[in-house]
Amino acid sequence: MIDVQNLCKDYTFKRKEPGIRGAVKSLFTNKRELIHAVRDLSFHIDAGEIVGFIGPNGAGKSTTIKMMSGILTPTKGSVLIGGEDITRHRKEVVRNIGVVFGQRSQLNWDLRLGESFELLKHIYRIKQSDYEETLDVMDSILGIKEIIDKPVRQMSLGQRVKGDLVASMLHSPSVLFLDEPTIGLDVSSKYALRKFIKEINEVRKTTVILTTHDLGDIQELCERIIIINHGVMMEDGNLSQIIDRIAPFKTLVVEYYDEIAPDHPSCEMIEHDGNIAKYKFMKNDTTAADLIAELSKLRPIRDVSIEEAGIDDIIRIAYGE
Amino acid sequence: MKKYLYVVKTQIIKSMTYEFNVYGNILMQTIIMITSAFFWKALYAGQGNVGGVDADSMLTYIIVSSLLSVLFLTNVERRIQLSVQKGTVATDMMKPINPFGVYFAEDIGNIIALVFQNMLPILIIGCLLIKVPKMADIRDLPLFLLSVVLSFLINWLISALFGMIAFTAVNIDALIQVKKHLIRLLSGSIIPLWFFPPAVSKVLGAFPFVYIYQLPLSIYIGKGDCAEHLMQMGIQSIWLAILCGIFLFVHNRVTKKVMVQGG
Repeated sequence: MIDVQNLCKDYTFKRKEPGIRGAVKSLFTNKRELIHAVRDLSFHIDAGEIVGFIGPNGAGKSTTIKMMSGILTPTKGSVLIGGEDITRHRKEVVRNIGVVFGQRSQLNWDLRLGESFELLKHIYRIKQSDYEETLDVMDSILGIKEIIDKPVRQMSLGQRVKGDLVASMLHSPSVLFLDEPTIGLDVSSKYALRKFIKEINEVRKTTVILTTHDLGDIQELCERIIIINHGVMMEDGNLSQIIDRIAPFKTLVVEYYDEIAPDHPSCEMIEHDGNIAKYKFMKNDTTAADLIAELSKLRPIRDVSIEEAGIDDIIRIAYGE
Repeated sequence: MKKYLYVVKTQIIKSMTYEFNVYGNILMQTIIMITSAFFWKALYAGQGNVGGVDADSMLTYIIVSSLLSVLFLTNVERRIQLSVQKGTVATDMMKPINPFGVYFAEDIGNIIALVFQNMLPILIIGCLLIKVPKMADIRDLPLFLLSVVLSFLINWLISALFGMIAFTAVNIDALIQVKKHLIRLLSGSIIPLWFFPPAVSKVLGAFPFVYIYQLPLSIYIGKGDCAEHLMQMGIQSIWLAILCGIFLFVHNRVTKKVMVQGG
């Protein structure tokens, strides 16, 4: 469905010096710096996938998604959507994609929500029957008809994001790009939004590409994640496989009867506070059961719990902390 | 085409939301209209005819000029500035509709709303306080309407071109003011060019501004003959063609630039 080949994006920007002197100086000098926001990304996304882009702020996620949706022209490399180059056949391709940027709205501020939908209906030449059907589907997932007569400027952020999502889905695109869709939303709005993404993926077979900082989004939605840092792809693959590969450890938390905690060669003590000690061990080296047995031989154990390496660990490791 | 008509429709609805804006413009236009009426009455005191125009025609000129100024209100420059600042240009260009077509349709929608909200009240105020602005020769009406349409397009294109500066400068508040006053002063909307020294008037005749206000107004009050009007409308059309050319050239460059820089 989507083919990305050797995608690169460079930015030039003017460095400004501090203070009034700097501001005056920048009027006359023309010192520019080059920044490689995205360097040589290549990947393939199949139809019907939900792919999550994660990475720290400024890692190049948004730049990548903007290039993939045709808003930005790549410095080098190409993006093919459904076999067509997005920079060359932009007009045809954009009919087939939907875009939502969490912090920006494409809705008409002063009008009721329905008016924005009607306008999109005309812009994309959507048939009335298709339009109504889509609205019905959206209503059953997001309850959009409750707010359809409300002016957008009077909406809460959650309602507005819902409106934006529906607006991006009206023309039934086969690919949906979401740039930080859950940013600033409360728990129930996030839940509704994830449900929405899952539903359109299952029912309409829409391919969804999203960037997020919310680990919940990833765990709930994405079977595949792509981790980007400093514009370079760090990881690409199935979430649990990535965990197995770059964080193949578990943490064993042991509570003893006193404050003396023993060491053991097959694990590493990473924390010791009072009666409680935390051990990190590799899944390949030993099992939790063996380790507990070994440790209980050394000191009497009161309680144990096991923590799996989670997506937090992955991100910490991948971001290179 | 249908989609642009729908934009016009939504804009009419939108224009109805902010009523205070409407009253402000009526007030401002009324003040300009009344003060210039007093101004011309004082200047014409004791003189029957200046430059082939009598005091009565001059008052008509002022009222119609106020009415036309409602038609020539544009929002395109502010619209472009706002979408550049907010970064929505890029997403606007994602849709299968030309954003400048949308801006044009929005301005048309605005004006349709303003015909009722602004023009009518100003006309009534003008009739009550100054005089009924009757046309000199009703047979010139088609010519007048045609030249108003051309004027509207020239004015819109100038505004759009100023607006496009926002793509590089981002903030163009000051430039919008410059444009507004350039048109105000150089187009004969307040003082017709035949009151200027002949040399100045000749130079200004080479600029597009005169063809925004003064040409249709001259036709309305019957200054000059038909041949003269037709020739001036020829120049008006040439200016329209030139501005169209510049617009398309800049439009293509700007679209490419937005594509490269993104939001």
